[in-house]
This record gives sequence, C-alpha cells and structure tokens, in this order.
Amino acid sequence: MSDILQNHAKRKKRNQLLSAYALVLPAFIVVLLIVAYPIVNSVIRSFTVRGQEGFTLANYVYFFTEPRELANILYTLFVVVVTSVLSTVFAYALALYLRFVKSRVSLLIGRLYLIPRFIPGMVAIYAVIVTIRDTGVISRLALLLFGVEFQPALMFNTAGLLTMNLWFNIPFSAMLISAALAGIPDSMIESARDVGAGRLCVFRTMIVPMSIKDVMVAATFVFMGNVGGFTTPYLIMGSVQPKMLGISLFDQFAKYADMERAAAVSVIMFLICSVSAVVYIYSNLKERAWEKQ
Amino acid sequence: MAEITTNIKPKLRIIDMTKRYKNGDGVEHINLDVYPGELVTMLGPSGCGKTTILRTIGGFLDIDDGDITIDGQSIALLSPEKRPTAMVFQSYNLWPHMSIYENLAFGMKLRKVPKEQMNQQILEMLKMVGMIGSEKKFPSQLSGGQQQRIAIARSLLLKPEVLLLDEPFSALDAKIRVQMREELIRIQQELGITVVFVTHDQEEAMAISHRIVVMNKGVFEQVGTPIEIYDHPVTRFVADFIGEMNFMETPDGIRAVRPESLSLSRGSQGDLHGHIRTIMVLGHYAEVNVQCGDAVIKCNVQRDQMAGWAVGDEVSLSYTKEQFFATETVE
Ligand SMILES: Nc1ncnc2c1ncn2[C@@H]1O[C@H](COP(=O)(O)OP(=O)(O)OP(=O)(O)O)[C@@H](O)[C@H]1O
Ligand SMILES: [Mg+2]
Repeated sequence: MSDILQNHAKRKKRNQLLSAYALVLPAFIVVLLIVAYPIVNSVIRSFTVRGQEGFTLANYVYFFTEPRELANILYTLFVVVVTSVLSTVFAYALALYLRFVKSRVSLLIGRLYLIPRFIPGMVAIYAVIVTIRDTGVISRLALLLFGVEFQPALMFNTAGLLTMNLWFNIPFSAMLISAALAGIPDSMIESARDVGAGRLCVFRTMIVPMSIKDVMVAATFVFMGNVGGFTTPYLIMGSVQPKMLGISLFDQFAKYADMERAAAVSVIMFLICSVSAVVYIYSNLKERAWEKQ
Repeated sequence: MAEITTNIKPKLRIIDMTKRYKNGDGVEHINLDVYPGELVTMLGPSGCGKTTILRTIGGFLDIDDGDITIDGQSIALLSPEKRPTAMVFQSYNLWPHMSIYENLAFGMKLRKVPKEQMNQQILEMLKMVGMIGSEKKFPSQLSGGQQQRIAIARSLLLKPEVLLLDEPFSALDAKIRVQMREELIRIQQELGITVVFVTHDQEEAMAISHRIVVMNKGVFEQVGTPIEIYDHPVTRFVADFIGEMNFMETPDGIRAVRPESLSLSRGSQGDLHGHIRTIMVLGHYAEVNVQCGDAVIKCNVQRDQMAGWAVGDEVSLSYTKEQFFATETVE
C-alpha cells in the first residue's frame, strides 16, 4: 500500500518537474540564442585582432594601458558609482518621506514621482537640455526676472551627466525602496517607539535592517543600468574626454569599425557589471537567519 | 472592586478626553479612572473607538482635548518612548530580524540595564510566560500564540505603569485564546500590574476583567464589574451586546429577559404563552425557541428538565429576573 503511494508520489513529482522544464524551455532557448551566443561570440572575438591568426590579449592591453582608454574606464566607474550612491541616498530619503510623512505634499509627491518613468528617455534629455543649457530656460528666466546673467554650466560636463542620471534613476530606486518600506508594518515601528526608541534609533535598528536588502538591490540595478549608458552621456557630453564606455564602444563600433576592440570594450563593461551582479545575487540569495521558516 | 477602590488614587486617569480624526470619526468626552492592579477592559463592536482610546494612552495619537494622567502626572504631551506605558498590538508585534532574546533585550538595552541583571530578568520572564528555550529562535519560527507570549513578556520586562493590550489574542484560534486568557490573568495577579485591555469579544471581557467599559459609537454606554453589566445593563445596547437577551416590546417600553431566567411549564399560569418551535441540545443545557405571538423567545433549560417536551407543544413561560427600558432610554 505504502509502496503504491510512494510510487505515485514519485511519479507525480516527476511529472511536475517535466512540466516545469517544458514551461522554461522556450525562454531558455531564446536566452541561449540571443543572449548567450552573442556574449560567447564577443568574448572570443575580443581575444582576436583583425588580420592576425590566433589568441591575443592585444585589445585588453590597449584598453588598460593606453592612458586615454584607461581614463575612460576609470571615468565610467566614477560616474556609475557616484550615480548609484547618490540616487540610492536620495531615493531612500524620498521613499522614507513618502512612507512616514502623511501630508498633502507627500501625497502629491507620491502621485507624481513616477512620472519621469513615463517620459521617453530622449524626450526627457532634450527637455532637460533646453532647460539647463547656458542659453536655456533657467538662464533666460534669470535674466528676465532678476536681471542676472546666470549660466547653469551643466552641459558638456560631469555635473550635467550626473544630474541627468539622477533624474532617471531616483524615481526608479524610490519605487523599489518604497515597496520594501510598505512591507514594514506600522506596529513594528510603533512597538519600537513604545519600548523607548527615538526616531533615529528606530531608523537604525528597525527600518534599515528590514529594508537594506531592497536598497542594495536598487543600488545594483542603477549601477548595472548605467555602466552601459549611452543616450544620456552622448547627448549631454558629446565627445568630451574622458568618455563613458558606452560612447567608447560606439566609437569603436561605428567610427573605427573595429569589431574586435568593440568586443573587448563590451567584455570590460560586462565585467564591471558582473561585480554588482555578484553583490546583487549575494544580497538576494543570502537568506538571513530570520528569514528562514 | 468599585467599593475597595474608592479611597485609592487612580493609576490612570482619562479626563474629558477628545480625539477626532480628520474625517470626523473618533471619541469625545471620555472619562475613565483605572486603579492600581486593576484590569479594565474596553469592549464594543468594531469601529466604536477602542483602539483610538488605547492609542491615545500609549502616545500613538495626539489628543485634541482633555488630559491623560498616570499617577497624577499628565502624559498627554509625551511621545510614546517617554511614556511609562507598554503596548501589545494585535499582530506583527515582534521584530522579525531580531532573535527572541534580542526582542526582549532591546528595550532594556535602551534603558542601559546591566547585562547580568538583564539576562536574569529575561530568563525569569521567559519562565513566567512558559517560553524557556526559545531565546535563539526568530519570531517566524514561533506560532502565533507563542509570539504573543513573547510580545507580552517584552512589554512586561520594561515594568510599565500601565500595560495596554489591543486585542492581543484575536488572531489566535479559540482554544489557544482561552489558554492565553488564563495565563494573562495569572501573570496580572502575580505582578499586580495595571492593565487596559481591548477586545470585541464579550466572553473574553467577562472572563478576565475586574471592570468592563462597554462602548458604542465612540461613547461609554456603561462602566462596571462583569456581574453588574450582565445583571443590570443600563441601556438596551449593553443588554443586547453582553450575553444573550430576549427583548419584548410593551406599550411603555422594552422588557429584557435572559434565556436562563426563563422556565417552561404546562398550563397557563406563566407570564407568556406560545408553542415550541425548536429544541437544540447544547451539552448540559438545551436551547428552546418558543413562538409567542410574533416574537421568538429563547430559553435555556437544564437538560434533565427537558424530558417530555417536544416541538409543537403548547408551553407557558415564566421569569424571575427582567430588565426594563422605558421608551425614552431607547434610541
Ligand atoms: N487613522 C484614522 N483616520 C480616520 N479615521 C479613523 C482612523 N483610525 C480609526 N478611524 C475611525 O475611528 C473609528 C474608531 O476606530 P477604532 O480603530 O478606534 O475602532 P475599534 O473600536 O478599535 O474597532 P476594531 O474592533 O475594529 O479594532 C472608526 O470609525 C474608524 O473608522
Ligand atoms: Mg481596534
């Protein structure tokens, strides 16, 4: 009797597994074809040089020793790190404000803050450029209203690039972090206040531990999303040196038609991303003791 | 209780307190004295304002008018962390990222209790709530009842002047609820702590309270011992809300009789006459529904007195106790 039951259970389990694989298969094939294959292909290609036979590190040596290219890599790292840190800090503050301050202003901001997500990137960048460039709206208003010559000086420099990056990434991070904060019941916070914790102490001992995982996830998403950024740097920075790797890749690819170097830039970008992917996977997979059932 | 306490100073006083939410809901002109060592329950239907009052005592809501004092000192302007109260919430009480030990120690650490003393008190408290050995576990590893025990322990460790409990057992199943009730009574007696308890379960209120405040739509209908409230409800609402009650309309008001005050007899000497509609045996007693004219009167009859009665029998009802609500006290 129990044998039959066991066999039945086994068969049921196997069938479930099979149908699970069947469901995953189409997506798996697509991933294999349009993600894995090009990646493998570029990686292989990045170790070759046109017109030469065999395996070579020449492309990588070029990118890591040529001062101009090395500067691009460091510049990209700098911009991406600053963007992730700043947008996470601002987004955290915004999400905390939206979660814990109940006023008409916070309600209004809560409704509006996602609007940037609905504006196509190019449109947004042009709109901001029209506003901030030295002959733009701000500058003209300053002249018109206050009679002062004011130039925001945000075009063709890092400050402008960072501003634009924040414009795109704060709402996105705030959305992720807000979801995490919404999951913290009021009674958790109230019971902490009740036993004697002040606001700052509640933040440190309750809110941060309960939301840090999602904050890290938000930060890594911003990081990865910006490593390969192209549109924003291209429109704001043009061809100012040093460049973001996205532009550098575009140059290798479109200007110099050097597919092997382009492949090497891609691999470098991929490696930078994978650092934060590791952080992401780690903070997501690591089941802290309190989350185990 | 009421007689004993008249010459003792109240521990907690709510004085003409008003709290109104922006939408106009809330409570008005609330007055209540709770004496040291007393367990007072606020009882009423959902939405009547029980939680509102409890939260004003705990400091989670600012009051609009009146005052709240503990030992004669106003606490109305203090923030929750400065008040000598401790609150146990209905659910989601424990901090999920802290072990049971850390949950219990958190408030004491903030108070800078020396470590030795803290460990010893935590151990004693765990023993008191029957949870020894759970120190290293996390809240998600405990059952609902166990979590509420720890929540109560956590509050008690801080030696609050007043312990506030907002339907702490309502998420638990019936058996555990009864067990937790008994434990709360034991702990309350052992520590002699002053407790304000909120529930919408009248049986729970009757079982644990020294005094009950029956609330309806933001006002106190009656304050009294469970027996006073059961035997002498002052309004029809209280009569209806506490226990079971038959209401009989008469030209000058409403007569209210408890099912257990009624007895059945044959013949026509009783107060009411009718015929038996249903008989339900519920353990040691039977519930008999008697159709008297348009009204159905519910009677509780001891099982051994049920012999010989059958559905459809003509029956005469007489009662020993009644409450009378003259027409003007009826809404
Ligand atoms: N934050 C709030 N804002 C506006 N109205 C509220 C708020 N909290 C409660 N109320 C209203 O105040 C009244 C009393 O609510 P309260 O939570 O005190 O009821 P309760 O007696 O505890 O009910 P329950 O048994 O369902 O918990 C209700 O009508 C409710 O809708
Ligand atoms: Mg309530």
